Amino acid sequence: MRARRERPLSALSGRRPGPPRRDQGQRRVVAIAGVVMAAFLVLVGQLWYLQVLEGGRFLDASDKNRIRVRPIAAPRGILFDRRGVPLVDNRPAFTLSLIPRELPREPVSRDAVLGRVASLLGLPFQELLDAVARVQPESLFPVRVRRGLTLEDVAKIEEWKLELPGVIAEVEPQRVYPASRFAAHLLGYVREASEEQLRSGRYRRGDIVGQSGLERLLDQYLRGKDGGERIEVDAMGRPVRLVQQTEPRAGAQVVTTVDRRIQEAAERAMDGRAGAVVVMDPRNGDVLAMVSTPAFEIDRFTGTIDRAAWLRIVQDPSFPLLNRAVQSQYAPGSVFKIVVAAAGLQEGTLTPADRVNCTGEFRLGNMTFRNWREDGGSVDLYRAIAESCNIFFYQAGLRIGGATMARYARAFGFGAPTGIDLGGEKPGLVPQPRRGRRNPWPAGETVNMSIGQGALLVTPMQVARFMSAVANGGVLWRPRLVQRVERPGQGVVWSDAGEVNGHVALAPVVWAFLRQALWGVVNDGGTGGGARIPGLDVAGKTGTAQTVAKSKASLGQDHAWFAGFAPGKDPEVVVVVLVERGGTGGQVAAPIARKILNAIFLERVARAGFPG
Amino acid sequence: MTMLRIDRRLLENVDWPLLAAAGALVLTSAVTLANLNVGRAGGAAARQLAWFGVGFVALVVVASIDYRRLVRAAPAFYLLGLAGLGAVFVLGRTVSGARRWIVWGPLSVQPSELFKIAFVLMAVWVITSRWAQPVGRTTVALTLPIVAVPALLIVKQPDLGTALMLFPVLVILLIGAGVRLRLLGGLALAGVAAAPLAWLVLRDYQRERILVFLDPLRDPLGSAYNVIQAKIAIGSGQLLGKGVAGATQSRLAFLPERHTDFIFAVFAETWGFVGCLVLLVCYVLLLLRGFDIAASAREPVGRLVALGATSLLATQVLINVGMVIGLLPVVGIPLPLMSYGGSAMLASLMALGLLLSVRMRQFQ
Repeated sequence: MRARRERPLSALSGRRPGPPRRDQGQRRVVAIAGVVMAAFLVLVGQLWYLQVLEGGRFLDASDKNRIRVRPIAAPRGILFDRRGVPLVDNRPAFTLSLIPRELPREPVSRDAVLGRVASLLGLPFQELLDAVARVQPESLFPVRVRRGLTLEDVAKIEEWKLELPGVIAEVEPQRVYPASRFAAHLLGYVREASEEQLRSGRYRRGDIVGQSGLERLLDQYLRGKDGGERIEVDAMGRPVRLVQQTEPRAGAQVVTTVDRRIQEAAERAMDGRAGAVVVMDPRNGDVLAMVSTPAFEIDRFTGTIDRAAWLRIVQDPSFPLLNRAVQSQYAPGSVFKIVVAAAGLQEGTLTPADRVNCTGEFRLGNMTFRNWREDGGSVDLYRAIAESCNIFFYQAGLRIGGATMARYARAFGFGAPTGIDLGGEKPGLVPQPRRGRRNPWPAGETVNMSIGQGALLVTPMQVARFMSAVANGGVLWRPRLVQRVERPGQGVVWSDAGEVNGHVALAPVVWAFLRQALWGVVNDGGTGGGARIPGLDVAGKTGTAQTVAKSKASLGQDHAWFAGFAPGKDPEVVVVVLVERGGTGGQVAAPIARKILNAIFLERVARAGFPG
Repeated sequence: MTMLRIDRRLLENVDWPLLAAAGALVLTSAVTLANLNVGRAGGAAARQLAWFGVGFVALVVVASIDYRRLVRAAPAFYLLGLAGLGAVFVLGRTVSGARRWIVWGPLSVQPSELFKIAFVLMAVWVITSRWAQPVGRTTVALTLPIVAVPALLIVKQPDLGTALMLFPVLVILLIGAGVRLRLLGGLALAGVAAAPLAWLVLRDYQRERILVFLDPLRDPLGSAYNVIQAKIAIGSGQLLGKGVAGATQSRLAFLPERHTDFIFAVFAETWGFVGCLVLLVCYVLLLLRGFDIAASAREPVGRLVALGATSLLATQVLINVGMVIGLLPVVGIPLPLMSYGGSAMLASLMALGLLLSVRMRQFQ
């Protein structure tokens, strides 16, 4: 050992001659070189592992680095009125979306990103967690988390975008309506797909789906197909190049039968009262307007609606979500007298010459049925309809019989859904004969039915179809709301040519008499005088449906009906007005109908009023 | 200027394969930098070539001087180097949190790079000095201060990588000088024992880098970003590389420090495993020539100068590539002849100059 220690200088000297024998210094250099070469082999091994064995995975990661997917939301189809005026439109709005594939893969850093979003925008962190927990982590489709971002929100996201991979403020077309409550029940509201709809498999989380009205009926057509861009970005997230682009496909356009002017006029005419209006073209069953009040604020649903606001609407005691035109049933009241008159005249149990003393009350056995007034005097059928004399119809009803009245009621479409393309339509009720009883039609019920009371229930839409049949001579049109659905570049993809689903066969003289009598209601000192418009022959029938008083305040507040058409000769429109607990049909419903008709026939009335 | 006179006999012994390998590497560097398009008007490649020109002059100057005279003057170089390291604290410019550069007109010089050469010469001077004989404990003890002082200065700059590099170079020199391995092993054990102390000296970001090396997903957007992006770049190159246009990690700047410390990742992404092999073979050729020069040197000073210069280059190549491909923690060490940077280019070429100087005088 000692000797070796003293040797080093000679080891360093290397002066020893003779190449084959290496001294210690040379051996050490060679050994060091060997260690260095071994280290190089380790480098090569690691490169083999990274580039050859794991290369594919890293190539994918580098693509993920540079490619950003930006969705381009497709606008929902637009609904037009019969003249081509839009009933609903779209406007660009900002939506907070998450792109699952671009979010960090590791839960810790992903949660850090979501946490930052939550604190920037003041959103519940859990909501963001839930949103990404339910989607495939490699999905390219955006998860739309929150709609209706403010410009400040968007600015914050843009400012922090390098720290927020996978988080974007997306421009998404959003529904915009002419007015907050415009045609709410007709159009229906759109809202993010419910859990139930998601389970159907047709929607992705955050999709906007039509939930009621036409939006729901035609959802498959109105929904567009989202497009997207694949953009190459640099490390600062700046776009460098467009790699691929798929244009969004807008939803199909829907041409409805509605006339926006009439719809607006009808909504105005209701003026805050609860009820329904249906305006129909009796020549083809086209629904020109359909109003149900109170309406909900349809534009409240377009963004992300919070639970409290939703509950407020659902739990509102005035049921704003209910479409009273098709989903509510009421006693028709005196409007039904037209059915009774038609049955009697056609069956020969009633003639226009029959006269009854229209007194204050009518006794049947131990029951007393009251008239709405005391001093009607002696009336024939024409005046009985015009003045809506109950006493006349009590007697007529007894003569015609309950079964016959029920048969005519069904013939006119009562007791069965009209088949309109809106969900939740109620069928109404026409009393059935009581089985197993000796007298299937108790006289009391027959008397009640003869003035449209008792068990009888109808919807405003049924009344409109019935009144259309009266106006057009017996054709029962299925109410039509949609004319056609057109896809740009594809033409018409769906259309409704209209459909007759019933026919009432009455003698022409009967039709003529009925129309004459209805004209008299409005224009000949009848109960419908409130609907009279000089220069326009309005025909119609009022009705006042008695209700069971729920409280003292609502005592005597009956449902007010007016159902009519104009012009009297060759009718073009049928107007049905129902005001819930509004009072009498003549005082409340008829003036509303007049306002609507006035708006419809404004030009013609003006011409008549100012000749020349 | 008699020093610079080069006689024919010297020229005959120029190591052309060594120069060829170095030239190939510099050319590769220029091409890689040109494709990266970084810096002012994409002039990095031109500046790199300009520095190569300057460095080549330095190489010729160093080669033409007898290395023994350089070793004799080593203390002066060493003190000058220390002064340069100290000057950084006064005159230095701070770039990304580190004061490593002294700006002089349009040039910025990194004294720690040039100091490496002075350090090698100084280490050889000490080891071969009279007081260090016979080679043993005394030799080791004498070399410790010459590594400790600059290491402390460089750590404070802070430039951990360069400071750490001085130790393996010194150890290789001591091994080459014939110090018993058992003695060095004992020192290494002591070093490991002192590691917890070193942990206390480290700055937060340096500790973070070591932790990130141990667990790259610790902070994927922060410290680990370089490591992850470098691995993605290298791995995505696969067997044959993505080519210049397809090297998106580099071109779209996902790779930080891509023209300096991480230039190997750019090369690996562009040319793939096969390209990497060719590049590494260039370095291996260069280093083997260096070791050959050391092995065939006929006297201890020449052998140690050659060994020191070679180990300086070898250590930098291994640490740089090792860190870029994820085998070592990220420490700021450039890849010799490849990474963009004038001082490093100058230092590498001066190391090659030393090798040539030894080679040319081998048969005198």
